[in-house]
Amino acid sequence: MKNNSMKKAFGGLILDTSFRILVPFTLVYGMYILTHGEYSPGGGFQAGALVAVGIVLVRMIQGGDKDMFNVSGPMAVVCAGVGTFIYAGTGWLTIFGGGLFLDYGALPVPMHHLAELHALGILMIEIGVTVCVMMTIINIMDAIIERLDDDLEEEVECDGNNH
Amino acid sequence: MQILIIEAILLLFLIFITVCIILNKDILACTIIYSAFSFCAVLTYFMFGSPDVAFTEAVIGTMSTIFFVAALKKIDRWCK
Repeated sequence: MKNNSMKKAFGGLILDTSFRILVPFTLVYGMYILTHGEYSPGGGFQAGALVAVGIVLVRMIQGGDKDMFNVSGPMAVVCAGVGTFIYAGTGWLTIFGGGLFLDYGALPVPMHHLAELHALGILMIEIGVTVCVMMTIINIMDAIIERLDDDLEEEVECDGNNH
Repeated sequence: MQILIIEAILLLFLIFITVCIILNKDILACTIIYSAFSFCAVLTYFMFGSPDVAFTEAVIGTMSTIFFVAALKKIDRWCK
């Protein structure tokens, strides 16, 4: 019964090797979609979901506590809040620059072309959305896995008491 | 005309997969067939000219399949 725990690594040779090739490309592709999302399909939400797919893959294959990107529990919640704060902070920056909320033309950055300011503002809020979505998906995954593991441990304890 | 035929085939696939999911008793099989539904939905969105929605559906379809399979460890595989 203990082997059913999802926090243990279940990768064999093929899974370990393939995820070593797959995950870096997933993360780099997520960053590409984030930064190139203005001119092509994509944006903050898709980039966050892709990066989260990479991290969840690592967690499922390498196991719970020894994986490379050990972002879990309260850390993920805090990072989701930080992502939302980046979004709101961009809006407040434009207010401090003398404009309206999310009025990118008023960003207090020494750039004179309006298009550059717009691109910078949209990139900043998309970074915020990316961090928030990534951490939220990791959080949902953590919740499912922890609840499953708690139930499994209870079952194991009950079995031990019965026998 | 050929694009119309391809779209019709994709939509028929979607209906067929949905009926398969409804009539199936095996929940794990339903999850896997649902990922096929997601793939056909991606192709349909792409044919109708919205690559943004198609990309989102592709990523979220993968995520939700992982979530469903993880949640399946809790409940019975067969529905009565």
